[in-house]
Amino acid sequence: MILDVKKLETGYGRLRVLTGVDLSVGRESVGLFGPNGAGKTTLINTIMGINKPWSGVVTFDGQDIGGKATHLVARAGIALVPQERELFPGMSVADNLELGAAYVPRAAGIGKRQLDMVLQLFPILKERYRQLVGTMSGGQQRMVAIGRALMANPLLLILDEPSLGLQPSIVAEVFERLARLKKEIAILVTEQNVRESLKAIDRGYVLENGAVALRDTAEGLAKNPHVVSAYLGI
Amino acid sequence: MAMKRRTTILVVLGLAAAFLVALWKPTVLIYGVQQAGLYAAIAIPMGLVLGIVHIVNLAHGEFMMVAAYATYFACRATGLDPLLAVLPSAAVTALLGWVVYKLTIRRALKAPELNQLILTFGIGILLSQGVNLLFTSQTRKISLEYVSASMTIGELSFGVWPFVFVIVATAMAVGLKLFLTRTTTGKAALAVGQNPRGAAIVGIDVDRTYGLVFALAMALVGGMGALFLTRSAIFPGVGGPFTMKSFCLVAMAGIGNIPGILGASLLLGLSESFLRAFRELRGWADIIFFVLIIVVILGRSLKGRKS
Ligand SMILES: Nc1ncnc2c1ncn2[C@@H]1O[C@H](COP(=O)(O)OP(=O)(O)O)[C@@H](O)[C@H]1O
Ligand SMILES: [Mg+2]
Repeated sequence: MILDVKKLETGYGRLRVLTGVDLSVGRESVGLFGPNGAGKTTLINTIMGINKPWSGVVTFDGQDIGGKATHLVARAGIALVPQERELFPGMSVADNLELGAAYVPRAAGIGKRQLDMVLQLFPILKERYRQLVGTMSGGQQRMVAIGRALMANPLLLILDEPSLGLQPSIVAEVFERLARLKKEIAILVTEQNVRESLKAIDRGYVLENGAVALRDTAEGLAKNPHVVSAYLGI
Repeated sequence: MAMKRRTTILVVLGLAAAFLVALWKPTVLIYGVQQAGLYAAIAIPMGLVLGIVHIVNLAHGEFMMVAAYATYFACRATGLDPLLAVLPSAAVTALLGWVVYKLTIRRALKAPELNQLILTFGIGILLSQGVNLLFTSQTRKISLEYVSASMTIGELSFGVWPFVFVIVATAMAVGLKLFLTRTTTGKAALAVGQNPRGAAIVGIDVDRTYGLVFALAMALVGGMGALFLTRSAIFPGVGGPFTMKSFCLVAMAGIGNIPGILGASLLLGLSESFLRAFRELRGWADIIFFVLIIVVILGRSLKGRKS
């Protein structure tokens, strides 16, 4: 396993949000589903060291990363596309992408290759290469955020609601591109749009009230009556 | 966009003032520009800290004062010229800045702004009162021959040495611009200023970047301390007005706007120089910065009401 989360508990102040989560990601693409407020972002932010775990273990690539500073987690090989994008609005697409690779040892010396790959995946970024990111549309910014993460040549790519605020036509496109990536990179993705994302993942977890309520393959989830009624809206 | 417009306004106003003053009394223009250089060279490092660490350092001028004192005693002991002390002084204040950052400022970064202001204000008092206790409030000066070098053009005669401040301020602005937009470390610092969480996510050590930027700013202001000593007398309270004026200039320019600081300094330097030209108004020169800051605040609240 590349990522192993065991009995993870955390929260905000006195509010306990995660009540013991077990989750793992190997060389595969894994979905993380659940209603708004279930704790998906909290789980991801805790893996990333943005929130600190109260208890439990987070292992990545053989190292214990639980509670480590965010920049060290990033350097170890996890790239995050945050729900809020967290770009550098006053800097160009070029600089945002460059900084995605600049501090990650895994990306050292292969910046050009990663850049070509990103610009091929999102040709619009090539056109807007010198534009300030803060002046771009939400959808384009989402692409910059995904591109910035890919620049790091990550071992694990985590995407938090990548289709948030995107037009439906673009959503399908993003997932099609993610499906292409999953051959090379381990992916953990949270999504409100369960139907689209089931096409791009191998396995999935359903998080409810801060704990894993369900785990299954993509086909299994698509057939599960609870998933169908609660998330596929049939 | 708003930033660009403000920079343009400041620079145009500054140049227009320069032109009018030049028609009337060229020496007023020359002294105004020289003073503007001094103000800008001191304010730019404060703008750097505010733009990236998001802290108003109310001990800013006091750091310069401490550097000037260190230079003074070093030069007295060795007989060397303060100009030779610019780099060593910068190195020492950088170190002092780093220590102050590590011990105090980083602990206040998440605190309310008022606490941060009280903290740096307190550091400033500590520095000026510490120097007062150790070395008394006596005024100290190093007399240098080249400082009184003057130049005569037609009827016009003026000192040339203070132009060094104009050169230093310009070099600082250009150098910082290049550093922040052309080097990886500079881009990372800019990124930290715009979005610290985003910066950490791509592997940038935010805390270390804050420390480096603070130390760099203190290095610049420390170098200025040595340079300041070439021309001016020093005493424990000499830094205070520079803190206030730097703050005024940085507020006029807007956060993270280094070219704007140059324009604002020109406006302040010329206004002061203009007032000094009239004997009855001379006393007002020292508080004109206060008028400028009130105008800025009024302008901003009016604009805020409109939108
Ligand atoms: N910064 C925060 N401070 C306090 N509570 C928070 C914070 N962020 C999220 N929460 C709470 O934690 C719970 C889980 O939120 P989140 O992890 O964002 O869920 P999801 O991403 O699944 O929608 C919610 O009840 C939310 O209100
Ligand atoms: Mg979320």
